[in-house]
Amino acid sequence: MAAKDEALQRIRELLGEGALTADPDFRTGVSWTITCPRESLVAVMRIFEECGFYLESLTGLDFQDTLEFVYHMNTYEPRARMAVRVLCPHDGEIPSVSGVFSSALWQEREAWEFFGVRFSGHPDLRHLLLPEDADFHPLRKDFGTVHAYRKREEVYG
Amino acid sequence: MMEAAATSGAYWLRLIIGLVIVLIFSQLNALFLVWLERKVAGHIQVRLGPMEVGPHGLLQTIVDGIKLVGKELITPARADRILFVIAPVLVFTPVLVAFLVLPFGPDLIIRDMNVGLLLIFAFSTFSVLAILVGGWASNNKYALLGAIRSVAQAVAYEIPLLLSVMSVVLMVNSFRFSELVMAQQRVWFVFLQPVAALIYFICATAETNRAPFDIPEAESELVAGFHTEYSGMRFGLFFLAEYTNMFIVCAVATSLFFGGWHGPFGFSFKIPGVVWFLAKTYVLLYVLMWFRWTFPRVRFDQLMNFSWKVLIPLSMLNLVITALVLKLI
Amino acid sequence: MAEYFPQPAQQQIYSLNLGPQHPSTHGVLRVLLTLDGEYVLEADPIIGYGHRGHEKMGENRTYLQFMPNASRMDYLSGLLYNHGFCLAVEKLAGIDPPERAKYIRVICAELNRISSHLLWFGTFLMDLGAFTPFLYCFDDRENILDILDRVSGSRLTYSYCRFGGVSRDVDEVFVEQTRAFIKRLRSRWPDYHNLVTKNVIFIHRVRDVGIIDKDLARRFGVTGPNLRAAGVAFDMRKVEPYEVYDRFDFEIPTGTKGDALDRYRVRLEEMEQSCRIIEQALDQMPAGPYRQERVRLKVKPPRGEVYFAFESARGQTAYYLVSDGSPYPYRVHVRVPSFGNLHCLTDVLKETLVADAIAILGSIDIVVPEIDR
Repeated sequence: MAAKDEALQRIRELLGEGALTADPDFRTGVSWTITCPRESLVAVMRIFEECGFYLESLTGLDFQDTLEFVYHMNTYEPRARMAVRVLCPHDGEIPSVSGVFSSALWQEREAWEFFGVRFSGHPDLRHLLLPEDADFHPLRKDFGTVHAYRKREEVYG
Repeated sequence: MMEAAATSGAYWLRLIIGLVIVLIFSQLNALFLVWLERKVAGHIQVRLGPMEVGPHGLLQTIVDGIKLVGKELITPARADRILFVIAPVLVFTPVLVAFLVLPFGPDLIIRDMNVGLLLIFAFSTFSVLAILVGGWASNNKYALLGAIRSVAQAVAYEIPLLLSVMSVVLMVNSFRFSELVMAQQRVWFVFLQPVAALIYFICATAETNRAPFDIPEAESELVAGFHTEYSGMRFGLFFLAEYTNMFIVCAVATSLFFGGWHGPFGFSFKIPGVVWFLAKTYVLLYVLMWFRWTFPRVRFDQLMNFSWKVLIPLSMLNLVITALVLKLI
Repeated sequence: MAEYFPQPAQQQIYSLNLGPQHPSTHGVLRVLLTLDGEYVLEADPIIGYGHRGHEKMGENRTYLQFMPNASRMDYLSGLLYNHGFCLAVEKLAGIDPPERAKYIRVICAELNRISSHLLWFGTFLMDLGAFTPFLYCFDDRENILDILDRVSGSRLTYSYCRFGGVSRDVDEVFVEQTRAFIKRLRSRWPDYHNLVTKNVIFIHRVRDVGIIDKDLARRFGVTGPNLRAAGVAFDMRKVEPYEVYDRFDFEIPTGTKGDALDRYRVRLEEMEQSCRIIEQALDQMPAGPYRQERVRLKVKPPRGEVYFAFESARGQTAYYLVSDGSPYPYRVHVRVPSFGNLHCLTDVLKETLVADAIAILGSIDIVVPEIDR
């Protein structure tokens, strides 16, 4: 079984069918989107790790009502990319996946300093790109000039 | 060591004139070599090299030297000041001594000592001390790393260097340069001792910290190695000493293996000995430059392995074989 | 190496800041090395000196205004970034550029890839202490810059692509120059191989040095030539063909061990494959318009998002664009390959020598401003 199908199967068992959204024609560049509650994130990542995926990108989106973190997972197969989306309130915490993927060590440091959400369990949450004394979170929409600050449903609804 | 005439006035006059000539010659020669190196590098790399100052940039290094003299001499705040100042002097003075015994021509040896060869090698070791002092006194980790590398490298490479030279000395039974050169009137020792010549040249490259053995000042690793903290003419002295050292090792190679002032196989083509000597030395210098602009740098442990596992046994073997053959003949 | 490695009890530890100003950190990168003598015990790359906030800039300008930013992240393969951004926006907005434009973009992008690899080749050899190949490469690279300068108007930070085409059409001279360049480059391979690949010192410096195997590459998200050197034939141009790459016949060069020598071979072979792509693209390039006229300058994509991955010179790069339906992107995120490639050094540099650390740093081909963004 291909790594992608195996991972899908196991995530379906873990989170239920409702968490998965397919994009069969790859229009958004992602074959499946997984909506994942914060508690299950590490379990989902472990499945991906065991199925031979790597953490391609980790980034966040800032909405008026919530923050959303998007983990893009990929493996060395055509069109296998999947997105794991996690919602998190502005003052919340997200479990760190750095124990699963080493690459998350840096990516979570970056996401933490840009969005101000702590990654609980990260061994070394220092500033990565910003100066050591930076006390701001630049990619939040209330920092600097932005064109729009919207609610989540205004973009994805 | 000293001859009977040592106390006469003519002797001292001769020595002083010789020293002055040596000073001027070594300085100009080093400046010329710097220019030559840049030209050789330029042409190897499909570019022209210095072209602006003087014909074909010939005066470029003189202008550079003037610039270096005009630069501020910076001493790092926590450096060992005395040692820091002494090191460039220490690196440059001993190389001048070597010129005193080099056999430029049949009548062009300032002091033809009976231990001339030993004198050169004894004094060339000073440059390692100077590098260690300079690297230590700089209070800079890169400089210290460079100095440590330099000492380790020198220890490893002086042994095969001397062993390879010894096999020549065995054949002539003398440390005197004039006798070493005279013995090669018909056949150069490079044909009788090809292995020793090869080992000598490899070790000489390492001894002068030239690429591919330039690990003490490995630019891409240690910034500038032992002279990272040196500026102005202090850096200039290190720089000139490197080129003067190059000249010395090549001159020694010429007189030990390539017949000194003799032409090939006894034919001199009516060309003066000093021209032969300098021409051969410059060919060897060109080869050194050619190395530098062709090879990548070896790694430190590879360098040590090569010396201890290949060069030293090989030169030892060469020495034993030479001794055996000489005994049997 | 391991047999000499000092035991913990004998270690005398000190730390050394390699950079931010150092001849071979390729930009403002600082690697905090913990050393025992010349052995590296720990390596911690410290980045961010060149952080300009490109992602934040994307939130307050239009899509087209972001185009110059795209080429300033990785300044050595600016056109590839440019191309990728253009494709991402086109995918988001549903724009289909004319055929000719696609071919022009592919040719220019591959030229840019070659120029980036050539520069890597030169600087890598310079890190190993060989200065001459660097200038040979610059000589060749100069040709590419001249060609791209003529069509795009800039030599380093291109903004050549437009949504629905390119900014200017190419002419016959471009085709001739490109063909002449490929011929020239191919005639140079023997020189490079004689000077470098067959050099015994070079081989000893790079063989079995800095091994990045498949598993390590996956843990750290290493992509591009560094991953292919480990034996994984993973190239976005083949796996998720974009533009017209599926029409060309080319191979993905792979290595076996993932050491510096494999990475070197893979990149050299990739240049040759790029030449093949360019040749085929030049042969197939149709006449016709070079730009779709109906596209507005102020593109207004519908609501939604796109994650578009493409192969830049350093590996898998991706733009993650979120649109709220306005002419301004709601979020621009760039997945940069050097990020993972550099991060894996925290593991790879352990128990090496300082000289090897420099060689490894050179062999993975990082561009620091790309990581800093």
